[in-house]
Amino acid sequence: MRIIVLSLASLLLSPFIAPSVAAAQEQAAAIFQQKCTACHTIGGGKRVGPDLAGVTQRRQTDWLVRWITRPDAMLAEKDPIAVQLLAESAQVPMPNLGVQESEARALIEYIGAQSAAASAPSTAAPAPVVLPPPSLGPVQRTALILFLLLTVLITVVFIAVAVSTRRPSTVDVKKAYGLRRVFLFVAAGGLLVALAGTLSRTPYPGADSRPDHIVYVAARQFDFYFSLEPIVSVADLSTVPLVKHLELPVGSSTEFRVTSLDVNHNFALYGPERRLLAQTQAMPGYVNRLRVHLDAAGRYQVLCLEYCGAGHHLMQIELTVK
Amino acid sequence: MRQISPLTLSWILVVALLFPILIVLGIYMRTVQAEQLPSLQSWFYPVMTLHGLGMVGLWFTAPLACVADALKRYVKPSSTIGWLAFGGTVVGIVLLLVCVLVGRFAAGWYFLYPLPLMGGWPQWSTVLFLVALTVLGVAWLLWSLDLLRAIAQRYSLTHALAWHYLAGRNEPEVPPLVLISTVSLIVCVAALIAAVVVIVLFFADMSGGIKTDSLLMKNLTFFFGHVIVNLSMYLGAAVTYEVLPEYTTRPWRTNRVVALSWNAVLVIVLLAYFHHLYMDFAQPTTVQYIGQIASYASSIPAAVVTIFGALLLVYRSSMRWGLASVLFFVGLAGWAIGGVGAVIDSTITVNAVLHNTLWVPAHFHSYFLMGLVLMTLAYFYHCCQGAAAHAERGVSRWWIMGLTLFGGYGFLLMFYLAGALSVPRRYAIYPAEVSYGAGYAGAAAAFAAMFLVGLLWLLGRMWKRWAETSAAPT
Repeated sequence: MRIIVLSLASLLLSPFIAPSVAAAQEQAAAIFQQKCTACHTIGGGKRVGPDLAGVTQRRQTDWLVRWITRPDAMLAEKDPIAVQLLAESAQVPMPNLGVQESEARALIEYIGAQSAAASAPSTAAPAPVVLPPPSLGPVQRTALILFLLLTVLITVVFIAVAVSTRRPSTVDVKKAYGLRRVFLFVAAGGLLVALAGTLSRTPYPGADSRPDHIVYVAARQFDFYFSLEPIVSVADLSTVPLVKHLELPVGSSTEFRVTSLDVNHNFALYGPERRLLAQTQAMPGYVNRLRVHLDAAGRYQVLCLEYCGAGHHLMQIELTVK
Repeated sequence: MRQISPLTLSWILVVALLFPILIVLGIYMRTVQAEQLPSLQSWFYPVMTLHGLGMVGLWFTAPLACVADALKRYVKPSSTIGWLAFGGTVVGIVLLLVCVLVGRFAAGWYFLYPLPLMGGWPQWSTVLFLVALTVLGVAWLLWSLDLLRAIAQRYSLTHALAWHYLAGRNEPEVPPLVLISTVSLIVCVAALIAAVVVIVLFFADMSGGIKTDSLLMKNLTFFFGHVIVNLSMYLGAAVTYEVLPEYTTRPWRTNRVVALSWNAVLVIVLLAYFHHLYMDFAQPTTVQYIGQIASYASSIPAAVVTIFGALLLVYRSSMRWGLASVLFFVGLAGWAIGGVGAVIDSTITVNAVLHNTLWVPAHFHSYFLMGLVLMTLAYFYHCCQGAAAHAERGVSRWWIMGLTLFGGYGFLLMFYLAGALSVPRRYAIYPAEVSYGAGYAGAAAAFAAMFLVGLLWLLGRMWKRWAETSAAPT
C-alpha cells in the first residue's frame, strides 16, 4: 500500500519538481535506449520488432551493421531476411534512424553482452531505463495550474449547491439573475483578456521578418529528412542533398519548411529539456513554415504527433544546437 | 408506473454490452503504453481505432436514443425509422468489427485522408470501413431527419428554435428539450452531409484515382468530428433539462436567455472546429483566429446559461437524491471541468505545446466519460427507476458513485499531467524522451479498472431495477 501511495505521489508531484540529472550511461546503452527500445527488447519478448536476445549469434555482423544503418535500402532491395522480418512485424518497417556504422558496431557488442546476461540463469534481463519527467514548460505550467484551480473551484461550487439541498427554501430569482449577470461579465471579461493577451503571440510566421536559417523538412512513413533545398517528391530524396546531422547555432532563428510525401504527419520539436517547444503539421501538398528561436544549446529531438500508421511512434530525427 | 419502450430498452442493452468492452480496450491501450503486454503490442493501433470509433458512435447514438425517447412526450417520432436506425447501427458495428479485427484496419477514428488508403492493411478492409460508415451515416441521417420531421409536425421552425422568446413572447411554450434537440439535429444533418462528402471523395480516389486536397479533407473531417462530438454533449444536456426538474420539483423552462443561448450555439458550433487545425499553418490565419474566438464564445452559453441554470435549479431545492439525480448532477460537473480543459487547449499559443499530447484525450474524456456518459446513464437509470415498482433504496449507490468518480477522475488526472509533460497521444510505445509516460499510463489503467467496476455495479443495479419491474404485477 505504501509503495502504491509513494508511486502515485511521485506521479502527481513530478510535473512540479525539477528533475535530477540522469546518471551518465554507456554510449551504446544510450543509443539502444533512445532508438531501439520502442520496438525491441533483449530477452524481454517480442514487441513490434523481434526480441534481440541472441541475434548476434543468428545473423552475421556485416548484415546486422547494414540492417541497422540502412534498413530502408535493404527493404528496397528486397533482401530476403529483411522482407521476412517485415512480414513478422505486421508490415511495420524498420526505419532508418541515422545510426552510424561505428554506433552500429557498438550496438551489436552491447546486444551481444546483454544477450549473454539475459540467458544466464541467475541474471535477470536488464530493466528498461525510464527517464524522469522533465520540468514543466512555462506555458504548460500555466495551463495546468489554471485548469486545476478552476477544477477545484467548480468542485467546491457543485458540493456547496448539493449541500444546500439539506435546507430547502425558495430562491430569490431576481438575485440569482443578478449573480448570473456578474458571472457573465467575469467569464466574458476573462476570455476577452485572454484573447487580447494570446492572439498577438500566435506561432504563425509573419512576412515582415526573415529567419537566420531555413531548413526544409520532408516527412514520410516513418522517417523525417532534413535538407537545405526543397523536397517536394519522393524522387527528390535521391537527388537533393540530405543533411544527416543537422547542426544549428545557438540563439539563431530558424524556419523549418515542413511537408509530407505521403500521409499527414507532424513535426514536433522537443528541446534539450525534453519538453515540447513548438510544432506544425506535415501535410501532403502543402508547406507549413514553423519558425523557432533556438535559445538553448543541446540535442533537440523531433517526434511526429499526428498518427500516421503502424510505425507512428518510430518517427524521430535529431538536430544539435551549439 | 412508467414503461420503457422496447426500442429504448434495446439501446440500453447495446450500451450495457458495448461500453464495458470498449473500456476494456481502453485499459488494454494504457496497459500497453505502460510497457506491459508486449506480445499484444502490434494490436495497439487497430484497437485504438476500434475504441475511438466505438466510443464516438456509441455516445452519439445513446444520447440521441434518450432524446428520441424523451421527445415522445411532445411529438411523435416514427417507430419504424427508430428501429431502422437501431438496425443500421448494429450492422455498421458488425462491419467495423470485421474490418478492424480481421482486416486490422487502423486509421484511427477520424481516418485523415489519405491514411486509410496508405496504411498497409488490405484494401478490402478500407472498402468495408467506408461501407460501414455509409451504413451508419444513412441510418443516423434518416433518424435525425425523422426527429426533425416529428418536431416540425407540432412546431414551426421559428417556434422550435424559440425565436418568439427572443421577440418577448412566451407562447406557444417550447420545452428546452425541443429547442436543444432542434439545434442539435440541424447541426447533426450538417455534420453528416460533410461526412457523406468525405466518403464520396474517398471512393472517388479508390475507384477513379481522383486525388483530393488534403487540407480540404482535413477541414471536412474535423467539421464532422467536432460537430458530432459537441452535439452529443448537447443531446445529453437536452435530456438533463427535461429530467432533472423531476428530481428538484422545480420547473426549468425556456426563456429569452435560454433561447438566445441555444441559437448562438447553432452558429458557434459550426465555426469552433477550426481549432483542430491550428497547427496546419497553411490554413488562412484569419480562420485560425475565428477558431479561437468561436471556441471561447462556445463556453459562455454552456457555462453561464445551462450549467448555471442547472445549479440554480438544484440550489436549496427539495432535491430527491438518488443514483439518477446524482449522475445527472456530477455529469454536469464533468461537462464543466472538461470544458475548462478544452477552452485552455483552444488557445492557439497553448495549443502549440499541447496539441496531440495527452492533454487532448484528457479534456474530451472529461466531458464525455464524466459528463455525457454519466448524463446518459442517468437517463437510462431514470427510465428503469421510473418503471420499477419500488422506491430506490440501499447504500450501494454511494459505493458505485465513489468508484466511478475516484476511478474516473484519477484516470483523467493521469492524462492531464502527462499531457502537460509533453507526452504524445496515440503512441503504442513511448520512445526514450517521453518514457516517463509509461508510469502515468499504468496508473491510468488501474484507475480505469476502478471506474469499470463502478460501471458494472451500476449496470447490475439497473438490471435489478428492471427485473423488479418485470416481476411486478401489472
